[in-house]
Amino acid sequence: MVLGFAAAAVAMLICIIPAGIVLARGDLPEAVVAYEFITAVTVMVLALLAQAFQRSSLFELPVLLALLMFGSGLVFVRAMERWL
Amino acid sequence: MVRDVVADVLLGLAVVTVAGSALGVLLMRDAYQKLHFVTPAALVAPVLVALAVLVQMGLYENTGETCLALFFMVIAGPYLSHATMRAIRVREKGDWRSGTASWPEMANTAPREEREQ
Repeated sequence: MVLGFAAAAVAMLICIIPAGIVLARGDLPEAVVAYEFITAVTVMVLALLAQAFQRSSLFELPVLLALLMFGSGLVFVRAMERWL
Repeated sequence: MVRDVVADVLLGLAVVTVAGSALGVLLMRDAYQKLHFVTPAALVAPVLVALAVLVQMGLYENTGETCLALFFMVIAGPYLSHATMRAIRVREKGDWRSGTASWPEMANTAPREEREQ
């Protein structure tokens, strides 16, 4: 295991906590912004963990999540704009 | 050894970037201001992480997949930020444009006589 990458992943997971607070306590636009932040950080955490554990197959997860982040973010934003 | 040090420095910079962005998202007043702090976490930090993987692994399969994820984030991030900003404004004002003129009125700048012909 590559320790630096694992430590960075844990540190970034801790950084999600403030955004989680905003997600839980803020109004709807703030929650959407916090969701986008959390998704972006999660992509990096998955890449860091894949590198930390030296598993090549795990590198497909951040690629997929980065792709899905775009679609899901647009769905949330469109729903907020039109219906919520 | 040198590779490890450089990779750790890059990872440290990425973590500092994300931590600062997280504080910005938490402390800023409204969604417009908070949205500015998503960009460093969605663009700058992934570049640093991809560089760290590149330094650690060299040109390898893992580096390629990390760069692919980075590519998707670089493409999606600004577009998503713009769409979010627009949606918040539409939610607040009813329209994303400033003023009261509707889009056909703003787009048609020709004199009235020419428009009626």
